[in-house]
Amino acid sequence: MATHRADEKRFLDERGSSGPLAPNGLNPATIMEKPVRERIVDCYFWKDQCFAVNEADIVNRVVDHVHFIGGTYGDAQRPSPFLCLAFKLLQLGPGDDVLREYLEFGGEKFKYLRALALFYVRLTRQAKDVYLFLEPFLKDYRKLKRRGRTGTSLTFMDEFVDDLLVKERVCGTTLWKMPKREILEDLDVLEPRISPLGDIEDLLESDVEEADGRNG
Amino acid sequence: KNWDDEEEVDEVDDTDDVDPDAEYAAWKLRELKRIKREREAIEEREKELEEVERRKNLTEEERK
Amino acid sequence: MQHLRAIGQTGEVKKASAEDVRERIERIWERMQEEKKDDVKTLGERLEIRKE
Repeated sequence: MATHRADEKRFLDERGSSGPLAPNGLNPATIMEKPVRERIVDCYFWKDQCFAVNEADIVNRVVDHVHFIGGTYGDAQRPSPFLCLAFKLLQLGPGDDVLREYLEFGGEKFKYLRALALFYVRLTRQAKDVYLFLEPFLKDYRKLKRRGRTGTSLTFMDEFVDDLLVKERVCGTTLWKMPKREILEDLDVLEPRISPLGDIEDLLESDVEEADGRNG
Repeated sequence: KNWDDEEEVDEVDDTDDVDPDAEYAAWKLRELKRIKREREAIEEREKELEEVERRKNLTEEERK
Repeated sequence: MQHLRAIGQTGEVKKASAEDVRERIERIWERMQEEKKDDVKTLGERLEIRKE
């Protein structure tokens, strides 16, 4: 019977040097920065809700407790449940089949479950797979609450995916430097992305300008 | 529940499908901007490659 | 749970498969739909009572 350790001691103590690496070659125990990791394992949510949890229990935790995305928030820089559960996933190391359940079947029903899995995929998968896993969700425009040090704001799933693909830092975590899409296209690793809007070459310029003009 | 304390009043509402048409229209605009950005990145890169190519083709004399 | 951690007894937890995860998602979803139905029903009942 395959098991996980119920707590994170071995993850933090041993995997730091000898544990299995994530598919992108990084050590999952050190993907989040040390001060953030320390805040996580110190916080009450981690101690109370992230002990003896497996890949299925993650779903319950997300549904019950994740109501916004974010890293640390407030003056106390409290780690969000979202971040704590991402750290738990780093410890559990779910495979692609489990991630697909989170992203697709589960993600349709529970948007914050999808958001969490997207974040985790970005942290642990190889560039090509990150693009292939994440880009289909650029068409998901459900709303997400985001909470940071300065307060709460509104974002959208597609915007979150885009942030994960182009930004350097998301949810209190520095993302590993991934080759840009166009580089992978040049190397024939990726086909050009096809937008759900289809081929809109002609409409493009006028639409964006028109909409900008209206908003501005 | 210590981890869940909503000490600040939360004014952000993440309920979906309140105004589906507007939500779709807003997404479409974001998507168009992304496509535009991607296209500009590709054009930029093509220009760079052309420039590299051009320099390679210059004679020693021209390069001075 | 916390006391186990406190006394250093960590133990192990069974790894869940993709099927386990899907079943869990279904179960939680169904439970939520039931709860929603109940909410609507109690609201309906309350309105009934108010009418009387």
